[in-house]
Parts: sequence; C-alpha cells; structure tokens
Amino acid sequence: MSDPRVTGEARYAQDAERPGMWHAAFVRSPVPHGRVLAIDASAVSENVVVLTARDVADLGRYGCQLKDQTVLADPARHVGDVVAAVAAPSRAEARAAAAEVAVDYDELPAVFDPLAAAAAGAPLLHPSAAESANDPVSTGVRPLRGTNVCHRFRLLHGDVEAGFRDADVVVEESYRSAAAQHAPMEPHAALASWDGERLEVITGTQTPFNLRADMAGLFGVGEERIRVVARPMGGSFGAKTFTRLEALAACLARKTGRPVKAVLERDEEWLALNRHPAVIRVRIGATAAGDLTAKRLDCWVDTGAYADCGPSVATKLGYAGVGPYRIPNVRVDSLAIYTNLPPNGAFRGYGATQAVWASERTMDLLAERLDISPLELRRRNLLRDGDRFATGEVMHDVHFEDCLQAAAGAVGYEEDPRGKGLCVLLKGMQTPSRAAIAVERTPVGYVIRSASCEMGQGVRESLRLQGAALLGCEPGQIELPDPDTDSSPFDTRTTSSRSTYMMGRALREAVRDLELRDDGHGFGEVANPGGLDPDTGQGTASTHWHQGAAAAQLDVDDETGRVTVGHLHAAVYAGRVVDRAGAELQNEGSMIMGLGTALLEEVEYADGQVTNANLSDYGLPGSRDLPGRLTHELIEREGAEPHGLGETALPPVPAAIGNALQSLGLHLTELPMSAERVLDAVDARERAPVRHAEAAS
Amino acid sequence: MIVELLLNGRRVEFEAGAGETLLEALRRDGGLRSVRATCGIGVCGACTVLLDGQPVSACLMLAPQAAGREVTTVEGLPQDDPVPGAFGEARAFQCGYCTPGMILTASSLLREEPHPSDEQVAEALGGNLCRCGCYPRILEAVRRAAA
Repeated sequence: MSDPRVTGEARYAQDAERPGMWHAAFVRSPVPHGRVLAIDASAVSENVVVLTARDVADLGRYGCQLKDQTVLADPARHVGDVVAAVAAPSRAEARAAAAEVAVDYDELPAVFDPLAAAAAGAPLLHPSAAESANDPVSTGVRPLRGTNVCHRFRLLHGDVEAGFRDADVVVEESYRSAAAQHAPMEPHAALASWDGERLEVITGTQTPFNLRADMAGLFGVGEERIRVVARPMGGSFGAKTFTRLEALAACLARKTGRPVKAVLERDEEWLALNRHPAVIRVRIGATAAGDLTAKRLDCWVDTGAYADCGPSVATKLGYAGVGPYRIPNVRVDSLAIYTNLPPNGAFRGYGATQAVWASERTMDLLAERLDISPLELRRRNLLRDGDRFATGEVMHDVHFEDCLQAAAGAVGYEEDPRGKGLCVLLKGMQTPSRAAIAVERTPVGYVIRSASCEMGQGVRESLRLQGAALLGCEPGQIELPDPDTDSSPFDTRTTSSRSTYMMGRALREAVRDLELRDDGHGFGEVANPGGLDPDTGQGTASTHWHQGAAAAQLDVDDETGRVTVGHLHAAVYAGRVVDRAGAELQNEGSMIMGLGTALLEEVEYADGQVTNANLSDYGLPGSRDLPGRLTHELIEREGAEPHGLGETALPPVPAAIGNALQSLGLHLTELPMSAERVLDAVDARERAPVRHAEAAS
Repeated sequence: MIVELLLNGRRVEFEAGAGETLLEALRRDGGLRSVRATCGIGVCGACTVLLDGQPVSACLMLAPQAAGREVTTVEGLPQDDPVPGAFGEARAFQCGYCTPGMILTASSLLREEPHPSDEQVAEALGGNLCRCGCYPRILEAVRRAAA
C-alpha cells in the first residue's frame, strides 16, 4: 500500500470543500497603527458579502492567553491587520473585491523595537486586556499595567548579587535573534460553516480544543456548539496554533449563510504569525577554576501586535536560558512586549532557540576568559541526575553529558577545536498538560481516536506503531480518524514535542481499560501537573526534559563572509525510540531548520512593513544548502519512556555554528549570521586580533 | 477559451480563462490536488508538473499555454517509474505536501541522466523546497531509484 503522500492522494485542510461554499479575502491595514475612520465598500459588486465592524459588534474578544483580539481590528495594530473581510463565489472575485474596499485611517504613533516599546512613554497597543480563560497555556500571565509589557516572567534562585561577588570572572554580552517565518508549504486554510446555531470548522490546526474554546467564548455559546475537525497539515512548525483565520471564516459564514473557506496567499503568511525576535542580555560569573557562581538574564521578547502565546514563550525562553547547568544563584527577567509588528507566536523551538543562542554563546566567551576548553567548562557544570534545576525541581533521567560528549566526539572536538563549536540545551515540554485517547475494537482491527494532529511530524505513525505493539495487531489494522472535537477525547494540544510521550502513555491506559472491559471500548487519560510561579520561576517547568547537543565544523571565506559548514552533528536523548525513521526525520528536519535560523532566515521590516514576504527574498534552506556532512544520533536507554524529539535538534544549531566562528576569532551576536555580519566580524578581528569579552565591573 | 491537452496520457478539454494559471486550472472543480500552490512565484516547486517531460512550475504558466502539449502529474507517472517507490522505501517525506513535485522533478532527471552524481541530484532538486527538511532522505530516494 503506497503512502498517500507519495501517490499525491493526501488531502490537506486547503482541499476541504462544501457544496455552495464561498471564498474569503481580507482587507488589511497598510499602516502599522491607526484608527479606522471609515470603510467604503460601495465599489464592490453586489455578488460579494463584505464583513465590517457592525457585523461583529456582538462578539467578544479572544486570545489564547490574553483576550486582546477582536475579529476585525480597530485600531489596526500592525501592517496587515485585518480591518474588513469579503466573501465571494470564487477566490479571484473575493481578492478583487477586497482590493476595492477603501479604508480611511487616522494614523497613530507606532513602535517596532521591543526595548523602545517597553520604555516609558511608548505608544500603547492595548491599554487594557483581560487574561484568557482558555485551558491554561502557562500558570499565569503577568501584564504590567500601563505599559506594552503583556507578561513578565521572573525566576529567582539564590542570591545573584552575592554570586557575582563570589565570581573571579564575570562576562556579559547582549544578543539579538531575528523574526523568522514558519513557511509551511501549505498555507493556513480553514473552512467554516453553520448548521443552525452550531459552528463547524475544518482547519489545519495543532490546537483543536484551544480553538474550540476560543470560538465558544467569541460567539458566547457552549463548547458543545462548536466542532473543530483538524485535517492533516502541509507543515506547521507552530504556525497553525490557536485561532488564526478561523474566526474570520466563521463570521463570513454567519453573514453569508454559506460555508466559507479562507486560504492565505503566500505573502499573507508573514502577516499572520512569525517567530519572536528577542534581545537577550546574559551576565555570568564563575570561579577561576570554572565553577559557575551566578547568572543573570534579561530578555525582551517581541510578541508583535497581539500576545498570542507570547507570555508562555517568554517564560520558556526565560528558563531555557539558564541552560542545563548547576548554578547556585540565578535571576531571570523575561518580558513579552507588544510592538506594532505582525504577531509572533509558537515556532519550533518555542523560545529555546533564542535563549540557547545567547546562553551558549556566552559559555564560550566565558571559557575564553577563563582559558578553559568550552567542552570542559560545560562538563564541569552540567546538571546530573538528582541535581536541582534553578526552578527548584529535581532532574531525572538526565543525559546532557552523554549528548554533549557524543556531539564533541563526532567532530573530533577534543583532538582539534579550531573551526568547531559546541552547544548543549535543555528544553521543556508543555506542563501542565492532559492527554486522553479512546480505542474501539472492530471486526477488522481497531479505531483509535486521538486529538493529536498530524503536521508531518509523524504522530499518527507513532500512535499506530505504539497501538499495534500494545494491541498485538498489525499497524495496518489500526484506523486513526482525523482529530475531531466531537469524537476525539480531550488533549491539551499538539505542541512542545509532547504527543508520542503523553498520548502514548494515555494509549497504554486505554488498552489496559479495553482489556478489562467486555464492550470493545477502552479509554485512557494521563495528566501531568506542574507549572511555574510566574513571579519566582519556582515549581515544575517540565515533567519531561528535552535534552540535546550539537557540534559544527566550518570554514569561512574571509573575502565574502560565506560560511561553509563541513559537518553538523546533533545528539538527542530519545529515551526509547518508537518510530526510528520518523525520529531520524525529526532530527534531520530540526537541524536543517536550525541551519536556516543560523545563517539564512530573517523577516525584514521597514517601518513595520515586511519587505521580504516571499520565498525568493526570504531564504529557506534548499537541497544545495546542506552541510557537507549532516549526521545525528538518538541516544536511548533501556527501559526509558519515549522522549519527544520534534524540536530538540533545532535550538543548538545556531550557537554551535556561532561558537565555531568564535574559535576562528569571529564574534557574532546576532542571528542570522549572514555573510554581511560575518564580514563585520572579520573586520573587527583585524582591528583587534585578540578579542576578550568585556569584564563587567 | 477551450484548452485541449494530453493530461496524464488522456486527451482532455477544459474551459480556461485567459489569465488563469495551469495550476488553478488543474486543481479546479475537484481536479488534480497533487499539484499544490505554495510560493506563487515559481521558486518552491510544489506545483511542479512535467510539460512534454520537462519540470515546470504550474503557478507561472497560463493554462492556455499548455494547449496541445503533454502535461504529467504524479498520478500520470508510468507504473514502472522507480521514483515513487523509492520515496516510500526511503521515507523521504514528512507532511508530503512537496513530495509530488519532488518526485516529478527527480523522475525527469533520471530519464535524462539515469546515473546522476549527488551534486547533479542536489542541483536538479534545487528548485524544490521542503520545509520539513527531508532533503537527506530525498537525495537517498533518488540514489535508490537510480540504482
């Protein structure tokens, strides 16, 4: 049986159709911040329905962590904010009509940099926004009233000032990482239809239950009146999380009385959701022998015009930046900040990418100052089984050293570190979270109902293989219908590399239940409690840690700034591998995406306008951008639980490459490490051949 | 206007607007959904079809330009084409959205160059993007198909 992805028979959200359906197009703001004074749709033909503020005046606000979004924006808070929408019998007619809607704006002052936006006197994007009642995404949001800070996460462990006093050496540096675009090959797509008072949405989403809760809140109805069906996605990487264009499609469907399908044009993807740009200042102290004494992180996380899941990204970025180290004194201040840029949200790596870049580059600066090998400095301070992390939780099943050593060995780091760099990371899994699953015996096999959504990461295959092993049947005897909030048991969502582990454990419970019952049905549920206090960072950040390391070997052309990666290796702790090819694909895909973040990818803005919103000017890695050698390994342990690994090999790649550049005397602090930035570092090396990190006073 | 062409070995006629792309025409009315829109500017390869055996981006080509030509999508590859099977064996896909375009491009390459070097394969597939990052296995699949 050929896979439908090979035969071309695979169908995605964008392929969904209903008889009589119309197509949506959006009227987007050309200004980064402006009140809508008037909307003139008189030029639009009669066979088109236009949705304006009047049509949605009865609706509340939505948002997964802060209720700061309305279906139509007024004021528009970023270039591309949707201020009106149209539906027409064809997509071409809808697009033409959207272009004929004239909107007058009263432009307001705008701010595009998170530091400027957090400063006193900055124009405010959301003078008031209420915390969302959606299923908890983190354990609390802490907006700073009267500012653009929509969440402040703090982690306080020990006495950080005393820790710096105890240090023989203190190193401080600031880093920036650019916004990136998920660029799933399939754009966002959703089809909404009403059956009387009941809304049905067929969409590509990783978060069907969060979406259902948002829609129920928005339309003021019970959740049983909303049905979300999650079709397989042509890639997502975090882009298709929470409410994207579903609310607009639902409102257009309500007004037209027809099913309405919305599919984004490629350039609209850059206006829908990107990865958080971040500024991170790291200060770290150590004894002359190389024992870490204190670490302080200040993080400015640009969440764009709407909070989306920015608060929990800032939280996870904050604790990931501590790194997998024993540090007696830690302070983290991580702010999620509104700016007049398109919203930023979940992106493979979820804050760890930005944090690990800053934290692990600083480890190499510290090693240089201490005149200790970067490998030895890390080994000396790594967390081990039974150690307490800065959050207070005790670490179990710890394999950071195994990962780091494997990465170092793969590139021959100990033999000759020149042109080579290392990075090790810790990344949390969504905590708290719940997963439930149902198994039903049929005459030909089993039906497994699960809300784990397929986006190419292979969760359906993982569940099929785990199910076959538990049920003693062939994988082909297991049917896995698309996630459907009417018939799939509750799951927190398909994020944070949690599904093979969480849903797999729930499946084990369900099969046990099936065996105990005589009606051919089994139900299983697991819940992992936890979460961090947002004011102290104490608690349980993650019940299950993603652990990995990367090593890079590279050459630099000093004339052009071109970096040629000869060898890139990642080592990831897998616990127990369920689907070997699938797991390897996750490592390879993460590494290649990490390579894009390291060297190529940057969403560029001019006055809030994205200037490279196409796949020609925005550089995705292609087959000719691969390193000379791309290798990786999955570290397993007898008897271990499967560990999620959908993202682990991405965050360590940029710092491994940055540290390899540092070994050549090239000091990079901004992502991506474009040829221009590498050339600047070459110039700086020539001006001051031996660069030491600034010692803080 | 009426466009007549040879689509996957069958002579077909369809009504196309003068400004309609071949991609839109092929997908229209529940048609060939293996031909997929992504970039809209001919750089990603997700909408690749073979035009008289050569890979082209269906998003850049107007439907009337295909009149009288032979258009092949992944559904129309010969049964004995080794590339689809090799993609399956190598598990050279994740979400599968770009896969038909990859397969068509690789199939065309192998017809012209039955034993390409790795460099030639990477070059030939340089216009097909895979955001899932399956390139190592895609290159492996093409190697298998060529063996």
